[in-house]
Amino acid sequence: MTIVEKILAKKAGKKVVRPDQIVEVSVDLAMIHDALGAHTIARFRELDVKKVWDPARIVVVLDHYVPNKDIDTAKKCLNIKKFVIEQGIENYYEVGKGGIAHQVLVEKGHVLPGTTLVAVDSHTTTSGVMGAFATGIGVDEMAVVFKTGRLWERVPGTIRINVEGKLKPPIMSKDLMLLILKRLGVSGALFKSLQYTGSTVSQMSIASRMVLTNMAIESGATNGIIEPDQKTLDFVKARTNQPFEVIRSDPDAEYAKTLEFHADDIKEPIVAVPSKPSNALGVTEVEGTKIDQAFIGSCTNGRLEDLRMAARILKGRKVDRFTKVIIIPASQEVLRAALAQGLIATFVEAGAAVGTPTCGPCMEAHMGILGPGEVCISTANRNFQGRVGDVTAKIYLASPATVAASALKGKISDPREFF
Amino acid sequence: MELKGRVWKFGKDVDTDELFAGRFMMGGDETSRSQYQEFIAKSGLSDVGHRENVPVDFLKKVVKGDIIVAEENFGIGSSRQQAAETLKFKGVQAVVADSIHRIFFRNFWNLGCPAIDLPGISAAFETGHEMVLNLRQGIIKNLTTGKEFKFRLIIPSWFIDMVEAGGLIPYHKSLKS
Repeated sequence: MTIVEKILAKKAGKKVVRPDQIVEVSVDLAMIHDALGAHTIARFRELDVKKVWDPARIVVVLDHYVPNKDIDTAKKCLNIKKFVIEQGIENYYEVGKGGIAHQVLVEKGHVLPGTTLVAVDSHTTTSGVMGAFATGIGVDEMAVVFKTGRLWERVPGTIRINVEGKLKPPIMSKDLMLLILKRLGVSGALFKSLQYTGSTVSQMSIASRMVLTNMAIESGATNGIIEPDQKTLDFVKARTNQPFEVIRSDPDAEYAKTLEFHADDIKEPIVAVPSKPSNALGVTEVEGTKIDQAFIGSCTNGRLEDLRMAARILKGRKVDRFTKVIIIPASQEVLRAALAQGLIATFVEAGAAVGTPTCGPCMEAHMGILGPGEVCISTANRNFQGRVGDVTAKIYLASPATVAASALKGKISDPREFF
Repeated sequence: MELKGRVWKFGKDVDTDELFAGRFMMGGDETSRSQYQEFIAKSGLSDVGHRENVPVDFLKKVVKGDIIVAEENFGIGSSRQQAAETLKFKGVQAVVADSIHRIFFRNFWNLGCPAIDLPGISAAFETGHEMVLNLRQGIIKNLTTGKEFKFRLIIPSWFIDMVEAGGLIPYHKSLKS
């Protein structure tokens, strides 16, 4: 069996499961955030149960609409806080304490190898980086998880994405992922799991790997996953004392298919043009496209290595005077490190707006909303029409290196010029 | 159980930002079913005129009991349940598509509304056709053309009972634990 099949079999209390089998599994961890948390709680209250199944297995993070932007968001966050207190939930991250939920789940050691995690967010797939089965659900279903601690799942067959070779800076894992999505398409992995393997993935930092699991959802996949290796174990053990079992794919595991990639195939930085994450082109094909906004951040690319890459390009330079450049660290931990390393000073000197760790303008939520016809280049994960505001705005997805280079020139630019 | 309705034909890759824009996600009082329902119904598909994959007169003319037939990858994107809710509250009773994204699939069923994925089905329907859908027998019939199609769903054994109960929350309330 594959790693995903083995995790689901274990959590379903079965010896063997096969792709497309329906199983019911125990949930090890459930996360809600402010975008859908109050909705979850309202539905939970309709179930006429007083207590959640296990408050220690629930994590609550406020990240989409904080600091609250209006009365509606303030009311919903208040409802969430009341629930957290009432239910005795310890793992609560108020604004200023955590950051983007997917980053917090991993960096605070909540996600353990070999476990199951659900959250009211499609980018829950990010946590598969720890070798966990992590996936998104809606609020009615989360209300039932809060009551029962159980979830049904259609066992996903696994598409293996094998990548060999070494990525050469400024090529980043984002460029690789955009190419993977080009090959898979936005529906190429429906009801499937993406398992990333190969020497390129082994060499990657945890942060770089998180880009791959984060954007697995853009291919329609149920989840993305990477088998735990020494790097994973060192990372987890530095963050938690909780015991866990390492699960890996069997040598004779059956895959739905294997797609092979080589780092050398990535000849230049990649940009996904509007309005699908699978619309990958080489940066030289869109170079010179005028931009109004450049965003570096999100659960895809707001980690320390992303900010270091951006700072390397922005240091000692000024961003374009008509371009809104927004840089948001993914978490308080990332912010603290970025401050200590002088990256924040670099960004401020360059003329970027630096935000407190939240989702930011990854979606039309809180800030950085796009007006009619505006063009944004972003390190986030989706470029659907209307994703970040007006339906006529256009979003290009790229790596932090490409976005930083573009911020300097006010148009889509090749970061290799600054290396 | 059998559902009958008039068809609206959608294109491919209808995404959740399109079904329910982020700007409305924090609106509506989720603790008041009636107020919430009204808000969610009116806020969905707000930019429909700018899209190629949704018929332009859908918003004006959709009525209770209509069925959406879509090309591949319906509902790709976010967990936001509002994307499924807005269709239900506008009156759509079922979605039938060549393929359906996992989270939307679950969300729509959980509201007590069937989401049927059957490769190739979209080619057999046009807007205005009449459909009959038999869930337990796994049959879709186009009453306008007379053509019949069989489907096999990959769903939990209790799912159709759940639809008959009116959705996941009413179904769970009806379970005596």
